[in-house]
Amino acid sequence: MIRERAAVLSNEPSHEGGIALWLDAPALAAAGHEPGQFVMVHCAPEGGEPMFARAFSIHRRDEGRIALLYAVTGHGTGWLAERRRGDVLSLYGPLGKGFRLPDGAGNLLLVAGGVGVAPMVDLAETALARGHQVTAMMGARTASQLLPADAWPSAVEYVVATEDGTRGLHGRVTEHLDEYVAWSSRLYACGPTPMFAALADALRDNGRRQRPEILMEETMPCGWGLCYGCAIETRHGVRLCCKDGPRFNLFDVF
Amino acid sequence: MSASGTSGVGDDFARQHNVNRLGAFVTKAVTLRRRQGNPQPRTVETPAGMLNSIGLQNPGVERVIADMAPVWAGWETPVIVNVAGETAGEFGALAAALDGVPGVAALELNISCPNVNNVLDIGQSVLAAGRATRAAARATELPIIAKLTPAAQEPAQIARACVDEGAAVICAINTVPGMAIDAEARRPVLTRGMGGLSGPAIKPIALRVVYEMARAVSVPIIGCGGIRSGLDAVEFLMAGATAVQVGTASFANPHALLDVIDELEAWLEAHDVSDVRDIIGCAQQFETDVPAPLLEPVEQHAAG
Repeated sequence: MIRERAAVLSNEPSHEGGIALWLDAPALAAAGHEPGQFVMVHCAPEGGEPMFARAFSIHRRDEGRIALLYAVTGHGTGWLAERRRGDVLSLYGPLGKGFRLPDGAGNLLLVAGGVGVAPMVDLAETALARGHQVTAMMGARTASQLLPADAWPSAVEYVVATEDGTRGLHGRVTEHLDEYVAWSSRLYACGPTPMFAALADALRDNGRRQRPEILMEETMPCGWGLCYGCAIETRHGVRLCCKDGPRFNLFDVF
Repeated sequence: MSASGTSGVGDDFARQHNVNRLGAFVTKAVTLRRRQGNPQPRTVETPAGMLNSIGLQNPGVERVIADMAPVWAGWETPVIVNVAGETAGEFGALAAALDGVPGVAALELNISCPNVNNVLDIGQSVLAAGRATRAAARATELPIIAKLTPAAQEPAQIARACVDEGAAVICAINTVPGMAIDAEARRPVLTRGMGGLSGPAIKPIALRVVYEMARAVSVPIIGCGGIRSGLDAVEFLMAGATAVQVGTASFANPHALLDVIDELEAWLEAHDVSDVRDIIGCAQQFETDVPAPLLEPVEQHAAG
């Protein structure tokens, strides 16, 4: 675990419901991480409240810098959204177990909903660098809530679905999986719980071969297995999201 | 030392830190049988603290001994195993299971967790706390630490009962029973309603209880409750504690335990205190409104 005080480089909305925060974090960047791992960021002045750091998966990385992508959902992220270039944040990580990429070249299908798209860009960049083909699907209620296409590496095939039909496929992303699943050799997903449930229903008959992995979210006071707060019920018993996850096999949880 | 339930059974902690810098490592509570713990939500952040309702998730005493005792045996720092039972008999059985296990230095009796049935009830009753302590003390040669709740009407009386029945050390306090309400849902946030409040919010309560207990018993007291700095530790020592535990602060700051040690040493040096024992209980010399805790003897209390 690296503890670092990182300067904010930029902190700007990338789309409706997503703010990209670039941090100068050379120690964390040098330590390396697997896509899907996360960092804990203190979202308060030192010693202030909220007392506990917030967990954010790593969105992108680039030579001494890392980016997080987050939505404002409460006091902590509200405070974070007000940070400006030069402000210093205290964080620790990387933590948890990230996605497992196959050894040989594969066709990877990434499925994202909401701010769950955050780790998928890092996963896509890593997968491309290791010789995989990547198709990324993202669903949202409306076009403005989609991560812009230029936020993805250009080699990624980016497929979007909107519930109101304002861009891409019409409906939920989980209603349009068939042809992409048939193409894929592995599947990775991150999004809200209802998306995982729909994904499990859609893949139960013809998606087991892809061994779908998901990134779960649960309130994590500590982030490294101390507090036992972030319990997730799985087919193998209760597991801790922060330490045993946040990557789980879809069918172990849903 | 670590406070029970805030640093697991030590494997993760020892991977990140030099565990041998701690005065002792106290494990997460261990029960006779495996416990899954409580359903979500398990934690609620509150002003200057948190409520938890973890529910003593653990794999059971046999499994913990098999997996961890050999690891603990390799540490220089003593390991105190926190044990939780629902009856005096269970405390006895837990003590028997841990008696003589290499790597285990002492037992801490959890008769104060608010998140499972019966445990808090034991800690609120002079008779039941005494019985649980006696059952454990008879089953093992290991030193017994009784970890007590501030929820008892007279925490100092509970401490006396535990000491009378064989506790070598008192630890105070465990979490304070509390509650959070979800206004939109019009119901308690936690499934069991009640949870355990911890963090800086409970420090004044813990100081008061330690202060009272230090007047009631002659055995060492471990202070616990809201400690997150060396200065906090100093205050507990002055109240009468001989050692302190750091709990919730470790969730907010992964380095909290070692920071408290460093800051305590720096404070002592800055104040020309060459022996930490010189400040233990020094705040006791002043007359206060804290009621004289030496009420009637426990035996009479029990008989009445």
